[in-house]
Amino acid sequence: MTVKPKRKYLILLFISLMVSAIIILDLSVLHEQEVARIEEKDYTATTPIPSESGVFVRSEFALDYKNMPDDAQHQRTLKSYSKNRAYAGAPPTIPHIILNENGFGGKSCLQCHQNGGFVTQFNAYAPVTPHPELINCKQCHVPVKVQTLFRESSFIKLTMPEINNQALVGSPPVIPHALQMRENCLACHAGPAAPKEIHVTHPERVNCRQCHAAKPVLNLEWTRTSSSIKE
Amino acid sequence: MNREEYNIETQSRRSFIKHMAAASAITAATTMLPEVTFAKRAVTSTSGELTWKKSPCRFCGVGCGLLIGLQGGKAVAVKGDPSSSVNKGLCCVKGYHSVMALYGKDRLRKPLVKRNGKWVEVTMQEALDLVASKMKETIAKSGKDSVSIYGSGQWTIPDGYVASKFMKAGIGSNNIEANARLCMSSAVTGLMTSFGLDEPMGCYEDIDHADVFILWGNNMAEMHPVLFSRLLDQRLKRGCTIIDLSTRTTRTSLAADKSILFNPQSDLAIANSICYELVHNDWVNKSFVQKHCVFKKGKTNIGYGLEDKFQFTDEPSGIDFDEYRMFLDDYTPSKAEKFSGVSVKDIIYLASLYGNPNKKIMSFWCMGPNQHTRGTWMNNLIYNIHLLTGKISTPGNSPFSLTGQPSACGTVREVGTLTHLLPHGTVTNEEDRKHAAEIWKVPVEKIPAKPTYHTVEMFRALDRGEIKFMWIQVTNPMVTMPNLKRYRNGAKKEDRFIVVSDVYPTPTTDIADVILPSSMWIEREGMFGNSERRTQHFEKMIEPQGECMSDGWQIIEVARRMGHGNLFPWTKENHIEEIWKEYSRFHEGNKHAIAPYEVLKANPGIQWPYVNGKETKWRYHSKYDPAAKGESFDFYGKPDGKAWIWQRPYEPAPEVPDVEYPFWLNTGRVLEHWHTGSMTRRISVLHQAVPHSYVELNTQDAAEMNVRTGDKIKLMSRRGEIILPASVNERGQPAKGQVFVPFFDESMLINELTLDSFCPISRQPDYKKCAVKMMKA
Repeated sequence: MTVKPKRKYLILLFISLMVSAIIILDLSVLHEQEVARIEEKDYTATTPIPSESGVFVRSEFALDYKNMPDDAQHQRTLKSYSKNRAYAGAPPTIPHIILNENGFGGKSCLQCHQNGGFVTQFNAYAPVTPHPELINCKQCHVPVKVQTLFRESSFIKLTMPEINNQALVGSPPVIPHALQMRENCLACHAGPAAPKEIHVTHPERVNCRQCHAAKPVLNLEWTRTSSSIKE
Repeated sequence: MNREEYNIETQSRRSFIKHMAAASAITAATTMLPEVTFAKRAVTSTSGELTWKKSPCRFCGVGCGLLIGLQGGKAVAVKGDPSSSVNKGLCCVKGYHSVMALYGKDRLRKPLVKRNGKWVEVTMQEALDLVASKMKETIAKSGKDSVSIYGSGQWTIPDGYVASKFMKAGIGSNNIEANARLCMSSAVTGLMTSFGLDEPMGCYEDIDHADVFILWGNNMAEMHPVLFSRLLDQRLKRGCTIIDLSTRTTRTSLAADKSILFNPQSDLAIANSICYELVHNDWVNKSFVQKHCVFKKGKTNIGYGLEDKFQFTDEPSGIDFDEYRMFLDDYTPSKAEKFSGVSVKDIIYLASLYGNPNKKIMSFWCMGPNQHTRGTWMNNLIYNIHLLTGKISTPGNSPFSLTGQPSACGTVREVGTLTHLLPHGTVTNEEDRKHAAEIWKVPVEKIPAKPTYHTVEMFRALDRGEIKFMWIQVTNPMVTMPNLKRYRNGAKKEDRFIVVSDVYPTPTTDIADVILPSSMWIEREGMFGNSERRTQHFEKMIEPQGECMSDGWQIIEVARRMGHGNLFPWTKENHIEEIWKEYSRFHEGNKHAIAPYEVLKANPGIQWPYVNGKETKWRYHSKYDPAAKGESFDFYGKPDGKAWIWQRPYEPAPEVPDVEYPFWLNTGRVLEHWHTGSMTRRISVLHQAVPHSYVELNTQDAAEMNVRTGDKIKLMSRRGEIILPASVNERGQPAKGQVFVPFFDESMLINELTLDSFCPISRQPDYKKCAVKMMKA
């Protein structure tokens, strides 16, 4: 028996319809099993701490600092500033009793060290942290429970850099220290807790690094990078 | 700051030559024109110049990049390396003060030999001669399995490689172990049983993608503070959720969004209960599980390893999903609540976080699940959760096991300085042995096919007398071994000979017959490998003190004296580079290729597999991993290409508090001190912050006993007793009925009380659970 061409097409049509129905059903069943997910966004790497990030951070307080009279009696000195640092640039230890051992970040240390202010218990102004966004404070700053040592040490520390380092008489001094973790100038150089030797006379000019250049901490001679010019 | 900083050496050499040229020009000019005075150019003395060089931190397994300030031939300062992707410029208090650990006045600078009960100073040559002859003599008398080496995850990669080659290809014994057995072997067996290959699939970059962080018994704020700060930073910027799941309230609990306390050992029940909820709420990623997972079960009631010569081999058998589902019926949230003390609501909450398909989730753990008599199981269970939800091997979806030592991964796990391992593969596998024998150029029969002793059993064998000679390097087992008294007495027995290579006197050097002074960290060249498969190179920056010698070179010197010099045909100058070249051959291929020496030198760390000049951040997914085939996930570690979901039940701890010993004892670290404190206690800032150990009490227990902070407490277990001051409501607070003691203090040895039970699969001891009683002393 021969199949009429017309019927042949009809059968073909049905077969293709069946196949596509199976495929569509299969796909939709498989699709059903997948779990709804939000599209993944392309990731951009967090850039390393940029040394510029903190320059203007506390500038909203600049005018207050300007108008604040000096409290000579309670001013810190560079000597006391360096006393609780193992070397120049080391995180300072906590020189006072900790009121709450369990305290964490904003609920504890930052209460005084975010904006500073006079603390009667310690008869001193609380120094302001240049990096209040890092809240696990005791990761780097630890208390001093005893004054003794476990064993003697012969460690020689990196000493504090010289201040008064103007190139010319009256020219602005350069920044003699690394800026990493200390990008915010006003935190340490302005306000009543600033050591008197490095207390800035003009906090209102907030763009500090317009005049104060960072001294190359690495003592490198300036050289062109190889990409800029061929030798 | 940029990469320029690493070229300091060449830069200053160039400027030095310039100065020299200027100086000689001036001298020449002065002789020609005697009347004219030339202004001398100010030359800063090289001793005054401050230079910075990169190194990974000496302490924990996070592997922060440091810049070491060098002046006058000494390390004088530290800052975080902003170009290190690990810490991005931030360190912790240990890292910032790490260089001070080099300069303790009591550094071991000369070899010491014990003669008639007295220490005698000898030259390095004499000491090495003695070690070699003693080792030879012991082998001749009692066989090659009577000598052993016990190292650590603080060995540099080349040191560990030398030790492994010396023992396995030179002596022909598998008697090599490392303290990493005590800290991360459950992580290894966890990964091996679930995925067939060691080391995490993810990396630290997952932190920048994840929405939820679950910390399983991990006080990250103190133990991995730099990574924890990355979590906090992400929370500040993106609003992530941090859940602290632990047995004790810590600094991490206070920083977390939610702290959930559970009873010791019940983490097994909680993890299974989370899986129960996932299955019963239809939160399972079915297509992922169908395509990429199989279900397995192993033996149960597997014991605790308390008896000598304990043996255990697991027997995996396949099960189907229905069987697994039925098994989970024992772990409904209400049943798990009874074990764990965690409310039904909290268990469902945890499951809903894992089960939410739109949340990327990271699990972190370290010693909590690892130092656990069911450590391997606990690791499997966390992987189960991530596998059931398909949240793995993609950015932000990452079960991540952290490590505690700078090179636990790099040296112990990758080089394989354990009795059953080779630099690639295991000694029981003939192919792996052949491969090693070919690279080491020794007959394959030289490498024994049978593993000998794991760490606890090795010290038991020393006590029993099967091992007569032990060489201990870069670790302090006489503080860290559990049930310490037995192993100390064993090591002190008459005809045992103990060699200790270290940098400071410790309780372990106290029991030694020979002490070899080691050069430490940046006093020599080396590499460390951190938790995220990142290898980091550091150069020799300062001269070693006295007669100090690197641990690896000490072994080479002894090997040469014993006639194995042909295995180490290198000079002191080139051996690190040559070792690296030889070692790289073990890891050829895109599953584990490691970066070439020059690349490591030029970068602040490179992650393996390093294929075609590219690091691999996520393994088992073809989008990120050159070894993965197909369109998406490919768990190529197992022969069937699948990840294994394990049926692992809850089983109780071996020693549970009872009427006589009513408290749980948990031990651990504090932020300021690292391990046994032999380095950190010599750093003024760290010692002064935490000058001694203490026992932390729950406030309610303290009130009942009328104990205040500082009161002396006598703590007793079935194995020993010590007296230490109480700490109430200070750094941390254990739950009621529990106490916590840090283990860093060599004058308050808490490990005299701990139990030497271990996970039968990983053989890692459980330092977190045993029963004690206490009274006011």
